[in-house]
Amino acid sequence: MFNAKAKAEILKDLIDVTSPLVNEVKFNVSEKGINLRAVDPAHVAMVDLTIEKDAFDEFKADEMELGVDMDKFAGIMRLASSGDSISLTYDDKANRLVIQIGNLVRKMALIDTAGMPDPKMPTLELPGKVVVKASELIQGVRASEAISDHLAISMNKDNFELFAEGDTDTVNLSLSKDMLEGLTSNGDCKSLFSIDYLSNMIKPVKSSEPLTIHLGNDNPTRVEFAIANKKGHVTYLLAPRIESE
Amino acid sequence: MGVKLGSLFPSEQISFKDLHDRIIVIDAYNVLHQFLATIRQRDGTALKNADGKITSHLSGLFYRSANLVQNKIKPVYVFDGKPHELKQETIDERNRRRLQAEKDWKDALEKGDTAKARVKAQQTSRVTEEIVAQSKTLLEILGIPYVQAPEEGEAQASYMVRKGDAYGVGSQDFDCLLIGSPVLIRNLTSSSKRKLPGKKAYVKVHPERIYLNQTLDKLGISQKQLVDMAILMGTDFNEGIKGIGPKKSLKLIKKNGNIENVISTIGSDEAPTFEKIKKIRSMFLNPKTTDDYELSWSQPDEQKLVYFLSEKYQFSEKRIESMLKKFEPIKEMKKQQTLF
Repeated sequence: MFNAKAKAEILKDLIDVTSPLVNEVKFNVSEKGINLRAVDPAHVAMVDLTIEKDAFDEFKADEMELGVDMDKFAGIMRLASSGDSISLTYDDKANRLVIQIGNLVRKMALIDTAGMPDPKMPTLELPGKVVVKASELIQGVRASEAISDHLAISMNKDNFELFAEGDTDTVNLSLSKDMLEGLTSNGDCKSLFSIDYLSNMIKPVKSSEPLTIHLGNDNPTRVEFAIANKKGHVTYLLAPRIESE
Repeated sequence: MGVKLGSLFPSEQISFKDLHDRIIVIDAYNVLHQFLATIRQRDGTALKNADGKITSHLSGLFYRSANLVQNKIKPVYVFDGKPHELKQETIDERNRRRLQAEKDWKDALEKGDTAKARVKAQQTSRVTEEIVAQSKTLLEILGIPYVQAPEEGEAQASYMVRKGDAYGVGSQDFDCLLIGSPVLIRNLTSSSKRKLPGKKAYVKVHPERIYLNQTLDKLGISQKQLVDMAILMGTDFNEGIKGIGPKKSLKLIKKNGNIENVISTIGSDEAPTFEKIKKIRSMFLNPKTTDDYELSWSQPDEQKLVYFLSEKYQFSEKRIESMLKKFEPIKEMKKQQTLF
């Protein structure tokens, strides 16, 4: 059994986090809420997302897996306006998710979850950790996207920095320890990342929320942030780019 | 070849940009066949080197791959393995037709009818073991990965997409949708014009994207029903029932639920037996696939490429050099690391 009711924004957050990375995803539903994990085909980014049952207005579920085509789900959710209350019910006879938006009932066929991947989260030892206001990072990524396809994130014990360089232009965002909500770094850390992935990643982030970035040297980054009115949690892993050999 | 489902499947016109940084699995036989059929001289003679060896496929594979990589698309080619026993009839039939076409081609040439000769010549093309081996060598030199399927290439390609190792299948056939690939990309060609078969007219072609699940929704059928529809119309593994095209097939399957009910209702004696239907269905729904592959791209080996294409097959060195420039995005791609 799965029966839930939520504001449209909660589900749109889930879609924004997941759909840039994968076509199909497996929702692991339990009495505690919904969890999903997705890796893009190129294995560059991984997202682990949990939405607690408290994020929903109503939530009742047994343990089960729902195979969802994200493009399709996103298309359906475009029919909803923000503030709409969306009801989701699993129809186990037809293997469909019944989505009710206002007076509209949309029955969405689910995908067979057999053979869908269960990606394992790689363990990463990352020496740097910063807690930064999301608005700062969003501004930095937006500025960089105009001039380059990659940017550098770096930190040391006093400072956090984001830097992008185009053919003629540069972008620099530098925040000292007192401007940050937290900073711990054993020595200097620096890694480069693709802006395409970063800008997809920040889409669902609320600008007032804090964002935790774990960083190493030429290592993947682990970024954590809250969604769904702090009742949801995202861990986003992104592999670095390496400067020319 | 393949099931004629095009008219039922809504496609979305896309550009190469929509496929940036995406991994596309290409059915190698499908493209090699295209190259052998279309890359020909005016009278239909295939491109050949001085020793009379066909080079159409090498030329096609080289230019196609260069063009994809230049557009930041990561191609993987999948080669067919051993054909399934059910396919033998289709293969025999194709061989018969090929022999006939060879005769017709020679006749047309003698009569000086170059237009007809070209059409007939196209029908003679055959992907031989030698052509496959040469193609694999070229891909290795180009630094482009390929996968050997245990059986059908389309099935392996679809499996890799379902597994999340690639974004979509690149093919002209719709068969990968029957096997459950969520995304099909058609017209992954470099030229934006395609000659209409048998006519002196050209149409503009663009890459197209077809989503499986959205299509099934639109048609109001399940994956299994789509396979049943295809069997009614005819697949690589069976002849269809005469007079049943896509529209009629859809209507019959929707009305009767599955192909067995349709056959019982219409009582056709050309229909495959229920036992054969079961076998064909499982070819599409549970095909043989492998996890034995590794996907990585590297820069072409320039020296080897010049030796292979220019020394052995007389490609112009200048042309090779200019095509090599198109592989530069690989360097950029290599900079992006992966999580595992």
